[in-house]
Amino acid sequence: MTQPTQMSITRLTWINVAKDLRLEWRSRDVFNSMMFFALVVVVVFSFAFERDDSRPVMGGLIWIAFLFSTTMALNQSWARELRNGVLDAYRVSPAPAEALFLGKVLGNFILIVLLECLMAPLFVVFYNLNSVGPLWQLVVIALLGTWALVVNGTFFAAMSIRTRNRELMLPLLLLPISVPAVITMVTATTQVLTGEGAPDVQMKFLAGFCVIFTTACFLLFETVLNAE
Amino acid sequence: MKSKIFFLLAALTCVLLAYGTYQGLVVAPTEETMGDVQRIFYVHVPAATVGFTMFFVNFLASLLYLWKRSSRADALAGTTAEVGVVFCTVVLITGPIWARYAWGVWWSPWDMRLNTTLMLWLLYVSYLVLRRSSTAGSTSVLAAALAVFAFLDVPIVYMANRWFRTHHPAPMIGTPNLDHRMQNILFLNMIAFLVFGALISWFRYELERTTQKINAAHIRKAAGSGAAMLALPAMWMATPGHVNPLAYLWGGYLAAWGIYLSYLLFLMSKLAKLKKEMAELAAG
Amino acid sequence: MEAGKFYVLRGENGAGKSTLLRMIAGLNEPTEGGIFIFGKPNKDARHSMGYMAHAPLLYDELDGMENLRFFARLYGIATDAPLQDAMRRVGLDPGLARRVGQYSQGMRQRLSLARAIFHEPRLLLLDEPFSNVDPESALQIAKLLAGMRSEGNTILLVTHQIGLLANLADEYLMLSHGQLVDRGPMAGGNA
Repeated sequence: MTQPTQMSITRLTWINVAKDLRLEWRSRDVFNSMMFFALVVVVVFSFAFERDDSRPVMGGLIWIAFLFSTTMALNQSWARELRNGVLDAYRVSPAPAEALFLGKVLGNFILIVLLECLMAPLFVVFYNLNSVGPLWQLVVIALLGTWALVVNGTFFAAMSIRTRNRELMLPLLLLPISVPAVITMVTATTQVLTGEGAPDVQMKFLAGFCVIFTTACFLLFETVLNAE
Repeated sequence: MKSKIFFLLAALTCVLLAYGTYQGLVVAPTEETMGDVQRIFYVHVPAATVGFTMFFVNFLASLLYLWKRSSRADALAGTTAEVGVVFCTVVLITGPIWARYAWGVWWSPWDMRLNTTLMLWLLYVSYLVLRRSSTAGSTSVLAAALAVFAFLDVPIVYMANRWFRTHHPAPMIGTPNLDHRMQNILFLNMIAFLVFGALISWFRYELERTTQKINAAHIRKAAGSGAAMLALPAMWMATPGHVNPLAYLWGGYLAAWGIYLSYLLFLMSKLAKLKKEMAELAAG
Repeated sequence: MEAGKFYVLRGENGAGKSTLLRMIAGLNEPTEGGIFIFGKPNKDARHSMGYMAHAPLLYDELDGMENLRFFARLYGIATDAPLQDAMRRVGLDPGLARRVGQYSQGMRQRLSLARAIFHEPRLLLLDEPFSNVDPESALQIAKLLAGMRSEGNTILLVTHQIGLLANLADEYLMLSHGQLVDRGPMAGGNA
């Protein structure tokens, strides 16, 4: 009999992240489609907008590109767990469900942040974009906004894999819940880009949103995972 | 016994609604700046009260379900979400009709209160969609979890209202700004609509319980002939100024009652269908 | 049911065999009542339970050892030795660096079994372990199960192919429409 010890939740979370990233590295199906989608959005809209002053609409455009790429990534990240029924193997194991959830959130977060880093130069090139406000604020907004999207998105993707029309369900559930965050992200980004006012209130709001919803997801995930 | 109380309550609702509407349309003083259009207020505010109350009950029932796993709590949650969406729809229809006259626009896209109300509506519509499309065994748990999330957005709505600007008139109840006659009539209407909301919920709840029983009897998914209540009459009105404010007032009242009545019709058709299913079940 | 025996679960399609297995494994919630394993509620007995489903429950993009390593961590096992041992017991080479996506059906099934036994569970739940498996793999699996049985572990297995198990199993349980309708010793009860 092997010792029935349990690894710490941080350790298990990290094991989940490592596994997810390794799977993604080998198949690359999520990242490629995400990247391609974001690229198409950037290029197509660069034809549609005037080059001179795109700053007021850029906040919205950037986040639309990331929001929809995120939903793609989230759907795929759980679809992978359903193939061969692997999720069941996790559920019969004694490992806590929270580690699975946190692992998925972190894995997706890393992917999306990577995508954002790769896309940022493209926005500069295609829209001749440079920020009037301080750059560090943009970074903070991007990190908080991405976390807000990913944490809720991972949760609702886990929910929508239990429905009949999976791919349709995720945006339907995720978008209304994220409306406050999305509005705040967009207005904050626009404020920094155009240099009109400091987005302090918005950043606090986003931070609060992240805290509230991360807690809620964390508390309810096990229930949702075992809903059958 | 149950049905006796139900019909008594129904009669009470009719009397209250008729009296409240009469008071609102005829007896209440005409507001100085907005004129008769302001009377929309007597359907708009009570609908909001009922809608938010329903969402609150939905939240409590969902928590109760997550804790106790009782099918009654689940039925109550499903019911209140649906009825709440109907009342919230009335809020979202009557609001713009008033705004078109008072502000000159149907919708003010940067107004946080309008957006958050619309967002609440979207949230609970997505909740209803989830209830219809999740796989049989998991519906109740998933719906309950979503309800908790949806309700978490409410404090955020409040914060947002405080932090960001809004054109929406601030609540005037209890302030000296509101004519006390208007206030009394508003309260009367609020009570009337709350009773109305309770009545519909009760009716809907019994339907839901019957559905649950039928499903338990033979595990077959109840057909979700949904969105009847979402079908809204298309409306077109001329620019303000050329038109009598009464047109907006009537538009508001007609829209509100059109929605309430079509929802009642929807419930009646559901009742008829369930009765047929019960009969088939008894025969089979 | 008694500990330390080998049970075979039989019944027509849709009789509830797999569902029963899933309930015991804690994947499905029973409508009423609870399930106890070795005196503990089934959700607290996960360490002593091994589950092999109809689907392989493996990641196609990882190779055999990587799969086992990931699942082993979930059980708190940090070393490779028990995993290599489990691979050998099901007749697979632990050094094989081939992704599961390129495995044959029989190899997958064996690896899946290795995944279910590496933590030496006292209760083993198997759902159709012999379907789509070449005769050689089936024999290997049957031999391994006999070994586990003789070590005093309990085995509950769902299958259509009774033949292979005629000499291994102790007792059979017959399910129909979710109810236990018949049980009896393996040797006499069926042809």
